[in-house]
Amino acid sequence: MSVGSKVAIKLERVTAGYLTAARGWRSLRRRLEVVLNNVSLEVYNGERVVIIGESGSGKSTLLRVVLGLLKPLRGRVVVLGKEVYSLPWSERVRVLRAVGYVPQDPYKALNPSLKIRYSLMEPLEALGIGDPEGRMARVLRLVQLSEEVMNYYPTDLSGGMRQRVLIARAVIHDPEILVLDEPTSALDVSIQAQIINLINDLYEKLNLTVLVVTHDLGVAQYLADRAVILYKGEIVEEGFFEDVLHSPRNNYTKLLIKSYRASI
Amino acid sequence: MEAMVLAVKAVGLRVGYLDSEENVLWAVREASFEVSEGEIFCLVGESGCGKSTVGNAIAGILPPHAVTEGELHIFDRPVIQGGRMNYNGVRGRIVSYVPQNPGTGLNPYYTVEDQFYYVLNSLYGLGRRKAVEVSRNYLSLVGLDPDRVLDYYPHELSGGMQQRAAIALALSTGARVVVADEPTSSIDANLRLQLIKLLLDLRDSQRISLFLITHDIMSAGKICDTIAVMYAGRLLEVGRGSEVVTEPLHQYTRMLVDAAPTLGFKKALRSIPGEPPRPGVVVEGCAFRPRCPWAFEKCVEAPPRVGVFGREVECWRYVG
Amino acid sequence: MGAGVNAQQTGGSPRGAGLLSSLLRRQVRGLKFGAGLTVVLVMLALSLTCDFIAPYPEEGRGIAPPDARDRILLPPSTDHLFGTDSMGRDLFSRVVMGTRSALMQILIVISASLAVGLFVAVLSAYFRGVVEMVVSYLTELFMSVPAIVLALAFAIAVGRGLITVISSLVITWWSWYARITHIYARGVVEMDYVTLSRLSGLSPLKIVWRHVLRNVYPPVLVQAITDMGSVLLEATAINFLSLGVPINSPEWGVIMYEGKDVLVTAPWVTIFPGLFLLVTALGFSLLGDSLRESLDPRLRRKWRLWF
Repeated sequence: MSVGSKVAIKLERVTAGYLTAARGWRSLRRRLEVVLNNVSLEVYNGERVVIIGESGSGKSTLLRVVLGLLKPLRGRVVVLGKEVYSLPWSERVRVLRAVGYVPQDPYKALNPSLKIRYSLMEPLEALGIGDPEGRMARVLRLVQLSEEVMNYYPTDLSGGMRQRVLIARAVIHDPEILVLDEPTSALDVSIQAQIINLINDLYEKLNLTVLVVTHDLGVAQYLADRAVILYKGEIVEEGFFEDVLHSPRNNYTKLLIKSYRASI
Repeated sequence: MEAMVLAVKAVGLRVGYLDSEENVLWAVREASFEVSEGEIFCLVGESGCGKSTVGNAIAGILPPHAVTEGELHIFDRPVIQGGRMNYNGVRGRIVSYVPQNPGTGLNPYYTVEDQFYYVLNSLYGLGRRKAVEVSRNYLSLVGLDPDRVLDYYPHELSGGMQQRAAIALALSTGARVVVADEPTSSIDANLRLQLIKLLLDLRDSQRISLFLITHDIMSAGKICDTIAVMYAGRLLEVGRGSEVVTEPLHQYTRMLVDAAPTLGFKKALRSIPGEPPRPGVVVEGCAFRPRCPWAFEKCVEAPPRVGVFGREVECWRYVG
Repeated sequence: MGAGVNAQQTGGSPRGAGLLSSLLRRQVRGLKFGAGLTVVLVMLALSLTCDFIAPYPEEGRGIAPPDARDRILLPPSTDHLFGTDSMGRDLFSRVVMGTRSALMQILIVISASLAVGLFVAVLSAYFRGVVEMVVSYLTELFMSVPAIVLALAFAIAVGRGLITVISSLVITWWSWYARITHIYARGVVEMDYVTLSRLSGLSPLKIVWRHVLRNVYPPVLVQAITDMGSVLLEATAINFLSLGVPINSPEWGVIMYEGKDVLVTAPWVTIFPGLFLLVTALGFSLLGDSLRESLDPRLRRKWRLWF
């Protein structure tokens, strides 16, 4: 897979955080909680980057910043050449049309009162893209689900199937970038393997740039060209996955590797 | 010759729940196993296989509407016999439980000291001073500084400290068996290794038997003395930890190992086709038959358990 | 490889996910549900057919008969099933026609309160910030106002009437639904499917309707049904205090107001409307309660899995 010189996603010295209420949710006083500190990152076209971080590392915040949902306190976010936060929401959405997002929890990411087809169709409806039936059929085939899934409700499907539906929904509008948040952590080991293989399959078939956030080094190994280790809001190490794995320089990275097989 | 003390012994254990129509949904269909004293026993399985139910049965925290069959003994005391459960003197005293989330093991409204006091007082009638003394012992045992921890509320402690405090609390009751449901899954890498080391130390120094429930077979292989692989309420394979993972006998075990990523060696990830049956769904014959590459005609009947090289497997291929 | 959906995995054909349909299915055998539903249906039928059932419809509407003086305060008999009131009117007709008044008041008050409460709370949960703050202050403000006091103020200011009853009730009740809705809506708004819709660029109104409202209304609706009994009682109380519908109306509270003066000599004037009131309120309570029982905990657990 040739890696182009164009940059798909770029974070330039991004510091981000939240204003939380100092006392009670209606208090007017706010307290600043910084979650990401001076983070710089580049994802090139056509590559697969995995951000490895545990809970509290700031990875969810990082994703929100990349997706245009959280304006950083400092720094720039550039997606496919456009600076995301200099645009108003309506234009931001148009830029983000090139991004497909698969959220973490397949049990919370589908509206339980809607049939799958309506959830699947939504990006097409919102972006004004035609041929919904055709696209849905094609995309379900890509994720290896039968077409009758369209008429089911989310509660009729297992976790693995729901995850596939979410992936299908993320690619139905032909994005260039696919962003996945912990794609396998809600799934059993035997299904994890299916999803990992599926993601790589789509990566090749659809010429995507892939950005994955996970805490699991094993999952990262199969999904990463490059790895970025995130710890307490800072990038402590980055490089090609094999290099990071075999010659880690940062202590936290070493600890992560060492404790990999202690998931009791 | 000294007989080996069995901390936990299950014979044909079945546990189910009554649904809204008064039908029984069996979570554990047939479990027979033994845990020796001072052993680390891992129950490995995917979600819905019933492993948490087994843990709950041992710890004595099955809900009141649970239905049981078979037998469960803890240090020779029958806590489950047929349909009756009797955990008097066992629950909390001999068996203790550490839940998955570090936070939920401790009552958020009480300081650590209070928690120890209320538990020890209700179990053994200890006064506050004695309770504090006991708590200091156990807190130090798990590597926490009692002076720094006793006065704090759980939310003031980090996740790792909460987990260790919960373990200390579980041990302070004098428990000989500790049931832990995925104790390191919600802990940072920092502390995961420490916690494993702690558990191993406890086993060595205190001869405490550990019953660990996990979904990660590779980790279990590294840490546990005995592994039992559970699927759809049955134990498909039981054997020594290291062997089960390096030379699995049952197809399910083998496929689990194949599907688990190994760091450093990028083997092909082979997933298991299909999905495990949802809890409550009954499959005729061998529960794994629909997904098993070795399935043949005999598999429509439930396979017996056979001993193979010191291990126990439930598979027709090993019969005869 | 390739997980196609097969019947074994999902339990057969696609089931409706409608929470209400599963609720109802579970209920069909319950006694509470049966009793409650029966009462409600009977009252509903009465309200629709009262013009035909009432033997003296004009008297039911409040017009005194020509031979009124001979028929004042007669005890129950074959001619007058419930007796007559102090103006000689057949009580049975009045009470039966009061069913229509009762149900109408309930219906208007509850639907208006629900509409306002749901709408306002869902918007405040979605847009957060100032909107949420303002709405929550308003909610608390109106929650603390007792309906009867408000009715008194209205009656003094603009006079009594059906409008007085209804508006004073709606103004106080909407805030309860707003509060419940807001609590659930806050949870739903955090859900990933809402985030996904926002990212797709779906308009906020569509998101609120399709994703928030649809998943939030079940418990609120059930609460509303249970509330119908209480609304009836409050409305009747307001009418009893002469703050609501005009005198002579076929309304249980009004009849009981008349009946209080002759409580000892002609207790039937008070007893019969009171009985109807009690039974109707109970019926709604039972119905709502049985629905709520199945909503919580079992179904509620399932529903909570949705968010």
